[in-house]
Amino acid sequence: MAAPVVEAEASGRAATRPPARERKNGRFSVHFAHYKWLYLLLLPGVLYFAVFRYGPMYGVSIAFKDYVPFLGVNGSQWVGTQHFEDFFSNPDFPRLLGNTLILAFLNLGIAFPLTIVLALLLNEVRLSILKRTVQTLVYIPHFLSWTIVASLSFLLFALDIGPLFQFLNGVMGTNIDFLSDPAWFRPLIVLQEIWKNTGWGTIIFLAALATVDQDQYEAAIIDGAGRFRRVWHITLPGIRSTIIVMLILAIGQMLNTGFEQIYLMTNALNRDVADVFDTYVYFVGITQGAYSYSTAVGLFKSLVGLVLIFGTNWLAKRFNQSGLF
Amino acid sequence: MIRRKLSLAAAVVTVSALTLTACSGSEEPAADLTSVSIMAPFLEAQPPSADGAVQKKLEELTGKDVNITWTPNSSYEDKTNITLAGSDIPQIMVIQGKTPGFVKNAEAGAFWDLTDKLDKYPNLKTTFPEIQENASINGKVYGVYRGRAPMRAAVMFRQDWLDKLGLQPPKTTEDLYKVAKAFTEQDPDGNGQDDTWGITIPKWGALGTNSPYDLIEEWYGAGNRWTEKDGKLIPSFETEEFLEANRFVKKMVDEKLINPDFATFDGTKWNEPFFNGKGGIIVDVDSRVSVLINLFKQADPANFENKVGFVGNLVGPDGELHAHPTDGYSGFLAIPKAKVRTEAELDKVLEFLNTMNGKDVATLLNNGIEGVNFTVEDGKAATIKPETPEGKAVSTDIKSYAQLGMNVAGNNFYPVKQASDYEQQVFDKRTEVMAEDLKSAVYNPAAPYVSATYVAKGAQLDNIVADARIKYLAGQIDEQGLKDAIKLWDTSGGNKVKEEINKLWQDNK
Repeated sequence: MAAPVVEAEASGRAATRPPARERKNGRFSVHFAHYKWLYLLLLPGVLYFAVFRYGPMYGVSIAFKDYVPFLGVNGSQWVGTQHFEDFFSNPDFPRLLGNTLILAFLNLGIAFPLTIVLALLLNEVRLSILKRTVQTLVYIPHFLSWTIVASLSFLLFALDIGPLFQFLNGVMGTNIDFLSDPAWFRPLIVLQEIWKNTGWGTIIFLAALATVDQDQYEAAIIDGAGRFRRVWHITLPGIRSTIIVMLILAIGQMLNTGFEQIYLMTNALNRDVADVFDTYVYFVGITQGAYSYSTAVGLFKSLVGLVLIFGTNWLAKRFNQSGLF
Repeated sequence: MIRRKLSLAAAVVTVSALTLTACSGSEEPAADLTSVSIMAPFLEAQPPSADGAVQKKLEELTGKDVNITWTPNSSYEDKTNITLAGSDIPQIMVIQGKTPGFVKNAEAGAFWDLTDKLDKYPNLKTTFPEIQENASINGKVYGVYRGRAPMRAAVMFRQDWLDKLGLQPPKTTEDLYKVAKAFTEQDPDGNGQDDTWGITIPKWGALGTNSPYDLIEEWYGAGNRWTEKDGKLIPSFETEEFLEANRFVKKMVDEKLINPDFATFDGTKWNEPFFNGKGGIIVDVDSRVSVLINLFKQADPANFENKVGFVGNLVGPDGELHAHPTDGYSGFLAIPKAKVRTEAELDKVLEFLNTMNGKDVATLLNNGIEGVNFTVEDGKAATIKPETPEGKAVSTDIKSYAQLGMNVAGNNFYPVKQASDYEQQVFDKRTEVMAEDLKSAVYNPAAPYVSATYVAKGAQLDNIVADARIKYLAGQIDEQGLKDAIKLWDTSGGNKVKEEINKLWQDNK
């Protein structure tokens, strides 16, 4: 019941020309009053982020503490940057960084362009029913869990009896155990990634492709441009901004090399090339109870991700493209 | 107006944030213990129902309201830590082992030190002090351990193959090699094809986990995790016997007597090659004998006998039997100080555990309810057939309730009567073989000791050697590479672990 009184007060103040600072506030209040229902709509989102995203960030402080669950986050001792120092001076660090970066760049360099290629190919399919069927079929692997993908790989590449084991070794005239040979770990991981997610990734590009102006194609055809010319000069420039936004997002996620996938495919013989930040955090943090240390590692990973996002965005703007923000 | 509204919004945010965290508030300790809360893991698909017959009987026998929080085994350790960090702490927590997380909590004072308290309670006074010592942290007992059979190592083989080739069951590691070689090369299944191998080993590399490698190393005399040499404790992988044992395993790998995909073979399929007649030998715990017999029984109930043979531990090349025991316990029941605040309350809780470990409750937890799901025949618990729905419910529930059993003074319940005479014979022979092997058991001298460095990075350290062992066996590195890995263990922190363990060992001698 207090609200009308307050409103009256506010309007009264506006009438008597308040000083500049107040006036600015006043304008905001008018603005706020005008859009209050929109702000109300915003509230759940803000609350969600405050409670579930920003609140838990308080827990990041354990990266600078010697966290013991019984003592709680507040009761544990501060240790400064000791965990970070331990991590950077650890002999595992260069190996983890190397493995993570190599896998990340392989995924980015192979899987990401393949998504665009597949989208372009689908876009060129004229028969609508064929296009739709293929689209649906390539989406399906995305919905299988990594456990299933790993199990399928184990069956297909099983030593001596797996069909792909027999086929590939037959073609190459070798006897390679793909599942334990360290040299084949990365190709296998990238292959799984392509198989599982390429189809799904085309959705956004297909949507972007639908917006490309059809008149330009007609004009190009009249000018005598072939298919590849059209793709190169019309289609690709048409979806360039989408590609850049997707690239920035992909780079931000780059270091998330996929815990489940790598964990499932790791064994004693390929661990040297398989260990990445995600599996290391699990291994050290969960199985060894080193919560503080693994939080420090996770925090480091997030910071690198943040730097990568800003870096790519800056580069994109630098080359005169629209960035993400 | 805005300011008020904004502050209202801020208040809403704060209040909702607070309600998420502020469920705390200390409870007044009850004068007398009328209810007991327990946190325990369940390994079955479903936790037992809270109003089942076993639960009712348990409350009747103990005279308390027993509130058990059943927690899935897979996330148990996480849940333990979350529970300890929260405010809704139970009076009794099943702890599954001396994990780094538990050690840190215990050393920070999260649990009662029961070292001098347990002997006052007749059912909690252990008859195996060395196992209680193993379960302690540097001599401090933080819980009533859950006793497990201390001797379980066995070699299982296809008895029909052995008979067909006219061989004797292996007694020594050298015999094991001969049988494995015969199983690989002499066509034991008689199908005229070279499609069998000797020993099946799954993906199981970690050190000191009673893996087939660990067993063979111990049989060779490398010791059990740690061994005493020249008045000092050293890890068993720093002995000459460790290298010898792995040379032996490598010879078998090279001659294809072991499945070639031993580094990646899925452990859940371990029985399949044995059952399907591919790999004729498994080195594991003796309870797998029953599992294997059951597989044959399900496939052909009329003709399943004499398919599975087994022996216990094998004599090493030095002519002596170094039998491999387990640590003899599987975690413990610990009492958090945050919930049980005074000595008087602690006494009440321990009295409750004393009742839990008495004959009546132990029988309930392990056998079930007499007359409902089992009857006693010749001092053994025989399952009532055909099973009634009530009986079946009890039999299912006790699989979880057995998690609460401690049995620190031996098994205070009936042994289970096996389904057929043949299975009973095999079971009795198992018991006999294991009892005999136990006399030659070589224990882990460092089991009670927890080194700070090991807690911090033991798993990473051990991985260095564990991975090198598999790489050596697979031929990725040579013996020098294996030795280098062991040196790397030393220099990456292992030397510090050795120092700490030896100090603890000397101090407690």
